[in-house]
Amino acid sequence: MQYLLDYLASVILGAALIFVMINANDTAAENHSLYNGDMMVQEMLVQTAYLLEGELRNMGVGIPETQQSVLAADTSRIRFLYDMHRDGTPDTVQYYMGTTNEMIDTPNELDRPLYRRINSGQPLVVGSVTVFRLRYITRSGDNLPTPVISTSLSEIHSVEITMEVQNPFAMMRTPEQVKAGERIALYSSSLWQQTRLASQNTRR
Amino acid sequence: MQCLPVLRRFNVGETEMSNHTILTIAAFIFLSTILVSFYRLMGSTGDDVGNAQDMILAATISTSYIELAQGLAFDEKTDTTNAAIGNPSALTIPAKLGPDGAGEDSLAAFNDFDDFSGLVLEKTPTGTNKRFKTRFTVSYVNPNNADAISSTQTFVKRLDLKTWRTYPPSDNGVPIDTLRMSIGMGYFHFD
Repeated sequence: MQYLLDYLASVILGAALIFVMINANDTAAENHSLYNGDMMVQEMLVQTAYLLEGELRNMGVGIPETQQSVLAADTSRIRFLYDMHRDGTPDTVQYYMGTTNEMIDTPNELDRPLYRRINSGQPLVVGSVTVFRLRYITRSGDNLPTPVISTSLSEIHSVEITMEVQNPFAMMRTPEQVKAGERIALYSSSLWQQTRLASQNTRR
Repeated sequence: MQCLPVLRRFNVGETEMSNHTILTIAAFIFLSTILVSFYRLMGSTGDDVGNAQDMILAATISTSYIELAQGLAFDEKTDTTNAAIGNPSALTIPAKLGPDGAGEDSLAAFNDFDDFSGLVLEKTPTGTNKRFKTRFTVSYVNPNNADAISSTQTFVKRLDLKTWRTYPPSDNGVPIDTLRMSIGMGYFHFD
């Protein structure tokens, strides 16, 4: 009888151990996917932001004070001037967001390409974003309505850029895990928001 | 004589079985300890990834303020005159660094680099419920060594920023990382 009780206890404990280990393994795999997705998204965001902030930092460089540096300003599109090659000839740089249809191959239905175009060259995809929103602020801190009309372009003192990058590939969830109003799939995301001056050396 | 071996075998068997049970329980405790450490490690990895996102936002907030500061005049005196200043003693004294008068009460009203001194701002980036606080300090520094704060006026000022998350608060009293950034600005004048 004692043998039987011991075997029974061992079987119960062994089953519990196996259950705990399987559960831990599942949790580890799930967390690894989530953290890996988060890290990947943060790296994608930083790479795109690195290019964007470097270029926006130069907005208006080499442009005479009498000339406005922002040529077109909309919610998700900006066109500005700066002397990229320091040769005295201003270059036109344009950033704009494409449509979701252009990235229909990815499971994420919200991601879209971010384009960069120099002068009249071919637009190049510089990143994949889910949000690329521009806000145009006057010297007194007021927001300009978009698209900014041509007579108000010279009033732009700074530009606030908000960019969100989401993982193109989702982590699926069971219907029980999805709260009301949420998407079925879980996408890692990362946010970046920065304010840049429309022109440097405006007040020295 | 016939009973003894039976009794002995029963006693020996009972002792071995108890040892097995104890060993199993010990192994269970050991594995549980490992599992607790494992889950704690996974939790801390999640915190690290979350902190990285916070630091991205803190960096963007700090650089935005730096950008605004760099668009301002070097000093109140250089903002109000077109003449070049050749002697640093003509600049604002170190004790008076900060907003110049009641009119300079907001970022939009600031006109020179040191107006940020002593300022504390809180910002919630759009699209998130997180809040970040930034504290600013401006000082004159030695032009030959930007790390050394000068007690007198020089032609170089340094803006130090500290940015940290104020909401949501940290879990279980774990300290929140603070991002520190500094930017120097030198006076120059085009004749």
